[in-house]
Amino acid sequence: MPKSRRFFSAHAKRSLLLPALFIAPAIAVLLTLSIYPLIYSITISLQEETSAGIEWGLGHFARLASDNFFRTAMAHTFVYAAAALTCEFLLGLGLALLLNKQIRGRGLFRASLLVPMMLPTVVVGVVWRLMLNPNFGAINGTLKQFGIDTESLTWTASPRLAMLSVIAVDVWQWTPFVFLVLLAGLQAIPQEPYEAALIDGSSRWQTFRHVTLPLLKPAILIVLLLRTMDLLRVFDQIFILTEGGPGFATETISLYIYRTAFRFFDFGYAAAMSFVLLALTNVISVIYIRFLSHR
Amino acid sequence: MTRIKNRFTFLRILSLFVALLFALAPVYWMLTISLKTEVDQFASPPPWFIFTPTLEHYYDAFVTRGFGQYLLTSAIVAVTSTACALIIGTLAAYALARFELPWQLNKRLSLWILSTRMFPAIVTAVPLFLMMRDLRLLNTQASLIIVYTAFNLPFVIWMMRGFFADLPRDLEEAALVDGDSRIGALVRVVLPLVAPGLAATAVFCLIVSWNEFLFALVLTQTDASMTLPVGIAGRVTQYEIKWGVMSAAASVAIVPILVFALALQRYLVRGLSMGAVKG
Repeated sequence: MPKSRRFFSAHAKRSLLLPALFIAPAIAVLLTLSIYPLIYSITISLQEETSAGIEWGLGHFARLASDNFFRTAMAHTFVYAAAALTCEFLLGLGLALLLNKQIRGRGLFRASLLVPMMLPTVVVGVVWRLMLNPNFGAINGTLKQFGIDTESLTWTASPRLAMLSVIAVDVWQWTPFVFLVLLAGLQAIPQEPYEAALIDGSSRWQTFRHVTLPLLKPAILIVLLLRTMDLLRVFDQIFILTEGGPGFATETISLYIYRTAFRFFDFGYAAAMSFVLLALTNVISVIYIRFLSHR
Repeated sequence: MTRIKNRFTFLRILSLFVALLFALAPVYWMLTISLKTEVDQFASPPPWFIFTPTLEHYYDAFVTRGFGQYLLTSAIVAVTSTACALIIGTLAAYALARFELPWQLNKRLSLWILSTRMFPAIVTAVPLFLMMRDLRLLNTQASLIIVYTAFNLPFVIWMMRGFFADLPRDLEEAALVDGDSRIGALVRVVLPLVAPGLAATAVFCLIVSWNEFLFALVLTQTDASMTLPVGIAGRVTQYEIKWGVMSAAASVAIVPILVFALALQRYLVRGLSMGAVKG
């Protein structure tokens, strides 16, 4: 044991009081505001109000199985997450590979790319409401200038295009994040394996496949994990852009839970649904973490 | 060979410009809408550069309508909750980084703390609404300050734990040997050394609180208590939308974020991935 270690543990043994005092407030806050709400939520998800009073049971969870809206919202969530994740990853990786070089003005470039992802999601919603507005939006206005008929391109108001629109907005906002994390990952790769590949006469593709990709895997998995978690719980942008509409076309699971709780005031059922979402995100993150630790 | 190289350089510069255009043009478009008269807003083809700028929408939003109040609420909530999270979180982080706790508690507690951040917001939004209702805290700034403090806490602890761990122990030992108390060593020796990290963490918390939408939407619905994002969202979903007012409010909401983002680009990737990848 190095000297400093011994010094500290000797010091620590004398009093666990001080670290306990330091940590206690944080634990108290998290217990009351993260753990207690969870327990509260479990309780109300297991209670149903009947004419005879409050009844305990799995009624809310049973209702999930036959709720078509819930199933549709789930399907929307998966489509949204899968499509946005794929686009963000491919675009982010492509950009990172292209720009993994010393380029003049890269700092400025990086700072500008930060803008979309730092914006409040509400502002992102406003920006794209303006861009996609069928009457005066910049997208349709520009298309018109090129002589394209924009009559049917009503974007967020069209049942056909609404999902595409909200996915595109997410890709716009979060591709820079994927890019930045992957670029950081690329720059952390040492030069030696590349030199070895060069000596072996590997092609560009072989080098990418057998050197870059394996060494970038931790960064890739982390960025995919973080994006997946965020995509599955998406709420803000869609709420501003379409409120889940038109009709039900872009209603994801978070929006459906919100509507159930705060429009229909069916808190028990909303809580039950939120546990399905929680279970889902947990299972997915466990899978990712397995992959990450098996590298 | 040189042809291939040239082609790649060209491709690189082209993709750079296209990416920049994609990232910035929509935001620029919103800024122009906030500065255009209603005639110019609805003009076709859309004027990107040439129009007569006006500040009437800004005046309308922040003087005539209630956006000044929302702005103030947002600032109060962000600053107070950040301060609370920093104080509580830094203490916990220091203990986790520097004391050897029994039963592997350092690792276990850290992981548990991180896991509380992993819940989707909507999962806690429902019970938090009911709790705040029972406590009669709905539609108060206090409810948001409390929730944001808890929300930012895991982040502060993880960031600061990393900064403390990077610091050599000798410095504190010297202070302790010199007869300083633990708290004295923390305040006089350690905190000044991690000040840049502390500042970066603070800015992250400020941004998160400033941008947060779902909890604010659920917990605050009155003019006196709602934050800027909720105020803007309320205007968006109304039947008749004042585009100019909305863009003006949204443009103002961006300003602090831009200032912060430029100030700490360096820490950004590390922060956003919670220290998982060194930026």
